[in-house]
Formats: sequence, structure tokens, C-alpha cells
Amino acid sequence: MTIQILRRAGWAVIVLLALALATFLMLNVIPGDPARLAAGPGATPAQLAVERVRLGLNHPLAEQYLLYVWHALHGNLGISSETQIPVATSLAQALPVSIELVLAAMIINILISLPLGVIAAVRKDGWADRTVRVFSMSLGGMPVFWLGLLLQVAFAADLKIFPLGGEVSANVSQGQKITGMPVVDSLLEGNWAAFGSTILHLILPALTLAAFFIPIIVRTLRENLISELGQDYIVLARSKGMSERRVVLGHALRNAAVPTLTLLGMQVGWMLGSTVLVEEIYNLPGIGTYAVNAVLQKDLQPVVGVVLTVGLVFVIMNLLVDLLVLGLDPRARLAGRAA
Amino acid sequence: MTDTTQQVASLRDSAGPMSAVTGWGLGGRTAAIRSVGLWLALFIILIAIFGPLLAPQNPSAIDFGSRLMGPTARHWFGTDEAGRDVFSRVLEGARITMSSVAVVIACGAAAGVIIGTIAAVVGGIVDELLMRITDIGMAFPPLILALGLSAALGASLRSAIIALAFTWWPRYARLVRAMVADIQNTDYVTAARELGAQRLWIVRRHILPATVGTMLVQVTGDVAAVTLTLAGLSFIGVGAQPPQPEWGAMIADGQTYLPVVWWPVLFPGLALMFTAVSFSLAGDWLRDRYARDGG
Repeated sequence: MTIQILRRAGWAVIVLLALALATFLMLNVIPGDPARLAAGPGATPAQLAVERVRLGLNHPLAEQYLLYVWHALHGNLGISSETQIPVATSLAQALPVSIELVLAAMIINILISLPLGVIAAVRKDGWADRTVRVFSMSLGGMPVFWLGLLLQVAFAADLKIFPLGGEVSANVSQGQKITGMPVVDSLLEGNWAAFGSTILHLILPALTLAAFFIPIIVRTLRENLISELGQDYIVLARSKGMSERRVVLGHALRNAAVPTLTLLGMQVGWMLGSTVLVEEIYNLPGIGTYAVNAVLQKDLQPVVGVVLTVGLVFVIMNLLVDLLVLGLDPRARLAGRAA
Repeated sequence: MTDTTQQVASLRDSAGPMSAVTGWGLGGRTAAIRSVGLWLALFIILIAIFGPLLAPQNPSAIDFGSRLMGPTARHWFGTDEAGRDVFSRVLEGARITMSSVAVVIACGAAAGVIIGTIAAVVGGIVDELLMRITDIGMAFPPLILALGLSAALGASLRSAIIALAFTWWPRYARLVRAMVADIQNTDYVTAARELGAQRLWIVRRHILPATVGTMLVQVTGDVAAVTLTLAGLSFIGVGAQPPQPEWGAMIADGQTYLPVVWWPVLFPGLALMFTAVSFSLAGDWLRDRYARDGG
């Protein structure tokens, strides 16, 4: 067990070093000469030489990479050339907003996929199942950003049920930043006006972000539930006269839940990455908006900073899921002992 | 590998938006209905080839006199902010999207076949090393890696294509390695080896042809994910740049005039969705058929 854990943690470190290598190459090798970028187009050879020394470009590439990792470990992710604000500072402000959005999307994801998956499995091949499948497939085929724009036009601009965007209405004072997550902060402060407003602002973006992940959960849950419902213990439970409700929800669903939960855990990282497609539409100041604005300014440091952050969360979530499965499944533990 | 680790690995591959459209088993009762996805996919490919000939207007002809006009008999999908015909641009966009997706998948599949085959045939430390690199490549969402890579290369459609090809090959490498490893153990390959055939000859003559079917199924199903990711990159601004009539870029461009002017956003999105669903249905159909034929 311990060996398994150490092995997986070690692997995660290797993957992170590879990620850092990728982002290092994005910043320092692929775009051409960083000294020329920093010094500007009209720089003299002497100015270039000064920049080269200042940026540490006179050292071998391997040494630069190690220095980059060292800086990253100390929270130094470079400076935005557009705003002159350190990338790490901006990310620290933006990340809580995105995390809250991902959590809200995850809640919506579960609330919608769970009933759909169960209904589709129980009514397999019936009209309800077919409807769920057609709906899920169409949802999976929609471009996320397009769906976001449509929802915004329909529910915000047209029906005016939800606000167009932003974190909170202009006439509501948001109060202090504690965690940086708008909803959580207003809750902690007991600021109910801000709480209601921030929740309203979160629903459409969270729905958009969830839309792409719902079909995947529905499909997995449906398949697993159908396979569980065909097992012997279900026949036994039914023949004992157990109500269908208890058979499905108490027995089959419980067993089908493990792969579904695993999948949900892995989706957290994917969702955080997909915020780049959603946040800017709704004007939410998270890492997605930060990255997209930087792209428009041709400001590379923030973009790569977001890549690194999302990659980091992705690796950590996968590691956690691995360890959770290891903890839950005795077969995986035994396999580790045999290996 | 235990059942569980394998299960987790396959869950990981399907956790993201890679495969949200495929695998719904929406067949239909007759063979004609079941193959509808294939016909739709062929239809899209034909549009991509002949679309510009069918376009009623020049897709980049600017006419400020008729800017932001709603759908009419002359402009079926309306006009955009420069008075360009949205219908013609959507048709033109099919060519841009399909050719870009073809390049991404062709490059990704070619790299995957080479790396996967080398790993399986050479084996040992080379196999271990290549598969570890593949694992690392699969450890991140393609969208986010491609975003950084494309931004570093300088935002353009070409950069986005290169960036996506770079992030897509590991999926094919893993698939090909598993297939080649299986085929290597078949009797006919053993027979060829015992008869003294050269390793490279066996690979070319016996192994690679046997992988074509599965690869074709995989590639068709992947069109949806590549199309949507590429459009996403263009929407963010690291892919195709306006006024290029790429569907994602068109949506980004039209976004400014919402909610009053909805047509430059609605129609490219419908085209994206139509493409994603059609190719997924085609991929599912090929998979079913291929599995039933047992080969």
C-alpha cells in the first residue's frame, strides 16, 4: 500500500516536471529570442546583451530550466509585460473565482446527470432512455462557448431572469475579500443581499461549464447501472420482494456510483481548463478571463501561468482519485503487494 | 495490471470532453437509418470540397450598405458586421474546419502509428520510455496545452493546428501500441518470423494493415472532439483570426453584436454541432459494424 502511494506520488512529480518543461519551452524557446521580446523591436546589440544577462539567457538551457522550476516553486511565475503585475499575484486573485465556478458547475452536473442516468438505465430502450440519449448527444456536440452565448441571450438579455455577467450587481456592495470566492465571501460575512446576487450571477456560467460534462457522466452512470441491474444479486433482491425503488437506488446505484465518482473527480481538472471558454462570456474575473485577455494583448507570461496552474490542479486531482480508488478497492491494494 | 487500474485508466481517457458525443448507441431500427451519420459526414466533406462553388456570394466581399441584416431570401443566414454573407461564410468555413481537422488527425495519427509501433516492436526499455512519454502527454487536457503552445507560436490557425497535433498523438500511440502488441502474438506473424522474414517487412506487410480498420473507426469518432477544440481555440483568440471565416472565429467576431444580431453567432455554431454529431454517429456506426464483422 505505502509503496503504491509513493509510486503514484513519484509519478505525479515526474509529470509536473514535464509540465514545467513544456511551459518553460513555451516561454523561452518556441516564441524566439526572449531578450528581443523584452528589449523591444528597436534594441541595439548592446541593449540585447544586457537583457540577455538580466534574463539569465547567457546560461545553458538546462540551467535556465532548473532556475525556472526553482522560481515556480517559490511562486514566481514571471511578470505580465502588459500590466507589469506579477502573474502569481493575478492568479491568486483569479483562481478562487474559477474554483467557485467549477464547484457550482460540479453541483449542477451531479444534479442533472444523476436523475438522467438513472432514468435512462431503468427505462432502457424505452422512450425516456432514447430522449435522454438524444439530449445528451446533442449537448455533447455543442461548442461550449456557443451554448454560453445562447443561454446568455435567452435567459439574461431576453427573459431577464439572470444577469448578463459579472460577479455581483452594481447596486449591491460586495464587502470584503476573504477567500476571494464571491458567494463564499458573502456567506461568511452574512451579507444576504450580496449572497443572493452572487448566486444569481453564478448560475448561467456554471450551467454552461457543466453542459459539456453532463453527457459523459450520464453515459457512464447509465452503462454501469444497466450492467449492475443484470447481476445475480439484483435478481435475488427482486425475488425477495424488495421494492423496485430500493433495488435500483439502494443496491444497483450504490455499486454503479464508484466509477461515476472517480469520473467526477477527474472532471474537476477538465472543468478548470474549460473556464477559458466560459468566463470571458460572462465577464467573470477568473483565470479563464485572465488567460483570454492576455492572449488578446499578446502577453505570453499570464497565458503560460494559467496553463501551469490548470496542469497542476489536473495532476493533483488525478493523484487524489488514484489514491481514493486505492483506498476503496481491496483488489488494487493486493495488486500492489504482488508487484 | 488489475481490473481496477485498467478501469481507472480508461475512465481517465473518457473523463474530459474528448468523447461526449460518441458512444450513445443511437442506431435506429433499419440499416438505412443506422448509416445516416456516415451520409451526413460525407455530405459535410462534399461541402468542404465544393462549398465555395456553391456559395451564392463571395464570402469575403465587404458591403457596408447591407451590414448586420437579418436572414432574407438574398442572404439566407443574414450578413455580418461588414455586410458579408453569413451563409457563404459558413460554407467556406466547412473547408477551413475540415482541412484543419484532417491535418491535425493525419499528423497525430502518423506520429501515433510510428511511436506506438516502435514501442511494441522494439520493446524493452524503448517501449517503457516511449509509453511513459505518452502517459505524460495524456496527463493534460489538450485544450489547455494547445492554448499555451499556440500562443507561444503566435496566434494563427496554423499555430492552433500544430499545437493540437502535438497534443493529440499520445492517444493514437497508446492505441496502436496495444494493437501491434496483440497482432505480434498471432500465428501468422509468428509463422512469418519463423520463415525468416525481416522485422520491418513483417511490420509493413502484416502488422500495419491490420491496424487500419480500428484506426479509421477511432479517427472518425475523434473528428467531433478535434473540431470543437479547434473552434474553441479560435474563439479564445489563439486560432484562426477574424475575418477568416472559421466557425469559432466567426462566433467570437459576432459576439459583439449580441443579443440583437444573433445570426452571425447562431449559424456557425449550428454548423459546428452538425459536424460533431454527424461524425460521431458515423464513428459509432463504423465501430458497431467493425465489431460485428469480428475483424
